[in-house]
Formats: sequence, C-alpha cells, structure tokens
Amino acid sequence: MKLERYEIKAEKSLMIFEFVSEGPKGKIHKLVQFGETNLKDLFNLAFGDKDLITGEINDSIVSNNNDSDKVLATVVATVYAFTDKYPNAWIYATGSTKSRTRLYRMGLTKYLTEIEEDFDLYGQRVGEWESFEKGVEYEAFLVQRKNT
Amino acid sequence: MRHFLFNGKILKFVTMKVKNLNKSKLPIVRIDNSLEKYKGKVLFKDKLDKANDMLKTVGLPKSRKQS
Repeated sequence: MKLERYEIKAEKSLMIFEFVSEGPKGKIHKLVQFGETNLKDLFNLAFGDKDLITGEINDSIVSNNNDSDKVLATVVATVYAFTDKYPNAWIYATGSTKSRTRLYRMGLTKYLTEIEEDFDLYGQRVGEWESFEKGVEYEAFLVQRKNT
Repeated sequence: MRHFLFNGKILKFVTMKVKNLNKSKLPIVRIDNSLEKYKGKVLFKDKLDKANDMLKTVGLPKSRKQS
C-alpha cells in the first residue's frame, strides 16, 4: 500500500499507537489500540479521536478532516508494526456503525491484492468466518500475518 | 562552494532515505513514553465487549499457520 500516511508513535509494547491527523478541521490526535480479547492471541483493533482536554477517547465521532485514506493507511501501518512484533496474533476489527464497517470493507477491497500478499484476511457473515471476497457484506474482519 | 554542494548532496540523500523508509510497509515507529499511561487500560470498552461476545460464538477460523 503506497499511500501517504502519518508519522506513528507508540509505547514500548507496540499495543497502543498515536498519530496526528491534519486537515481542514485542524490537528486531531488519534489513538489506535490492539486490545487483548478473551481468546489467546486475538486482539481487537480499535481507534478513535483523543480529546486533548479531557483525555477521553471517542471512537464514534466523524472527524471529517478530509484525510480518511491517509488515516486508514496509517492504521494499516500500525497493523504491520504490531504483527511484526506479534507474528502469531489475530486481529479482529469492525466499525462502530454499519456504515463505518462498510467504509472499512471498501478500503480492504480497494487494496485487497496488496493486503493478501502479507495477510490472511477473513470476513464474518451469518455467524461464520470465510475468506474475504470482494462484493460481500461482512459484519467484522479478521487478519493474521502470513509466514514470511 | 564545492564543500557546500557536497554537504547539500549528503543532506538530500539522507532526507530521501528517510522518506523511502517511511513508505515501506513496515513503518518507522517512534517510542513515546507518554503513551505508557494507557498500557493495560481498555480504551474502547464497548468495542472490546462486542468483540468478546461475538468471538464467544464464532471463535476463530482455521489458521494457515501454527500459533
């Protein structure tokens, strides 16, 4: 994925990342977390805006900073960094709303060839996982880094 | 003049290298100790709860590699 992306900061375990989105709405601090789930080696990918005054994180806000491709490319870059450190990890992701899940699906579809070079990608539909296919609506996504 | 150009070339070379590195799939990640305060905290609880609920019934697909 040769898209432009933001510079990334992280804490030492590379489970929490931060970057700053820049656009017409100004600078928006974003946090990405790979959170441990109840299943071993499976992490929930979530990201949202950080309120610099309250310190709270909001994952349902629509930033409208005209940089969604750059933001998604940056989040994908955090997935590379995370899976480089934890190569056996599974990463689960879904949108906070149906329309956001659809937006992620569109992003995955657009760069599917490149993604599949490095990851096994699955979509969840009717309570089951299946290999991700273009044009199919999924409720959630799962990726695992391929052996290098 | 020559010395200045020489330095200019070196600087340009270094800048290009960093730019290229930042375009590689594996990004440059700067470690920021101020983010340590979030470690161990669940920042997106609703999403994590939702994920755990779903995973309880759906589980994982068969991995192509052993974990």
